[in-house]
Amino acid sequence: MIRPNAPLPPTAWHTIGPFFPRTFFREGDNDLTRLSAEAAPTARGEHILLRGRVLEEGGRPCVNAVLEAWQADAAGRFRHPLDPGWREADPDFLGWGRAWTDAEGAYSFRTVMPGGYADPAGPRAPHVDLAVLASGIMRRLVTTVFFPDFPDANEADPVLRAVPEGLRHLLVARPDGRSEGLRAFRFDLLLRGAPDAETPFFVD
Amino acid sequence: MTRRDPPDLFAPYDESAQPAVPIEGYANTFRRNPARPPIPRPYTRTARTGPLDLSPKLKPGDDNLAVIAPGRIALGQLIHVSGRVLDEDGRGVPGAVVELWQANAAGRYFNPLDTRDAPLDPNFVGNGRTLTDREGRYAFFTIKPGAYPVPDSGRWWRPPHVHVSILGPSTLSRLVTQMYFSGEPLNAHDRLLNSLPDAAARPRLLARQIPPQEVEGEWLAFSWDIVLRGRHATPPAP
Repeated sequence: MIRPNAPLPPTAWHTIGPFFPRTFFREGDNDLTRLSAEAAPTARGEHILLRGRVLEEGGRPCVNAVLEAWQADAAGRFRHPLDPGWREADPDFLGWGRAWTDAEGAYSFRTVMPGGYADPAGPRAPHVDLAVLASGIMRRLVTTVFFPDFPDANEADPVLRAVPEGLRHLLVARPDGRSEGLRAFRFDLLLRGAPDAETPFFVD
Repeated sequence: MTRRDPPDLFAPYDESAQPAVPIEGYANTFRRNPARPPIPRPYTRTARTGPLDLSPKLKPGDDNLAVIAPGRIALGQLIHVSGRVLDEDGRGVPGAVVELWQANAAGRYFNPLDTRDAPLDPNFVGNGRTLTDREGRYAFFTIKPGAYPVPDSGRWWRPPHVHVSILGPSTLSRLVTQMYFSGEPLNAHDRLLNSLPDAAARPRLLARQIPPQEVEGEWLAFSWDIVLRGRHATPPAP
């Protein structure tokens, strides 16, 4: 059926393949607390480390994966016009960062503990959205990291509630001690595995 | 009356126009794609928004892959690729980050992980990053990449292609894809291109050659438009 005002179909996804250039990564890309490696860190919010491993089937490390993080600032705001509070968003916080996995599948972000916010879909708990790109992943995999500090907010979160109850704990990062003077949280991703262990991913 | 609810800007992708996995002869597609179907979720503000100015982190300004320094010109057929980054309404997306990477003319990547026995070109790295202009246009010079056999795969070859990564106005409009060249015989056999179930979606990944008589320069020129997911998805810059 021809619809004269039909929107254009989006271009298809493809994998990044095995040769995503390391030269695309610069120092500070995985540090969300600074706009750039040269910039001073934001003064707002608690700085934290978010780290873990990306594993493929069989628990083997997924080497050379790219993780892209996106999150609200410490007050739950995005510097984007779709956020009614965007003019008050932290000017020293971009909210975006990119990390890659090493030979052990390990990644690390330095960031700010995000704030929650009220969304038309329901009250969002503090969270970080993560997208995974790697050779063989033909479309990015998207998931969301929650924090153990906020059990009540997590319980009410409309995205976490979309996950079968028995799997929700897989999306809550675990306390991982302190490093560099900051609280650290561990979030491991199993891209493919047993039904009770595979990381829940969302419809993109 | 002002409209209180914004129009539905983002819809889930049409599955028939997106790659189906796993892909025979590409082992990582078996190991790295979840067994569980993706879980439906509401698109909240986190998904609908995205970074609008990535320039502090992803520095643009490298849109000529064919010349790495004055007088150091890559081997291969010089090409110019241009087009527009559009939203689903056909509006240009300004300020989108476009990242490119590709093999050299011999089909080898400047990447320590590419260990194939094909020559490296000392004058070709093959990475670039640029921004779309106010109308959503992008353009870059490069050389036409070579084809290469996929290792341990039972003899299939990747046709010439350029990897493209686009960061648009929202995380839901993020796109990573590959650009192919119209008329390449290997296209018909490529397992990635043909992983799109809807055959009508495949030509949308092919760049069209601009007739040489319309090109004002000593290069071959190709045109390719890219559509990011999202309607009314082009916000004003803050």
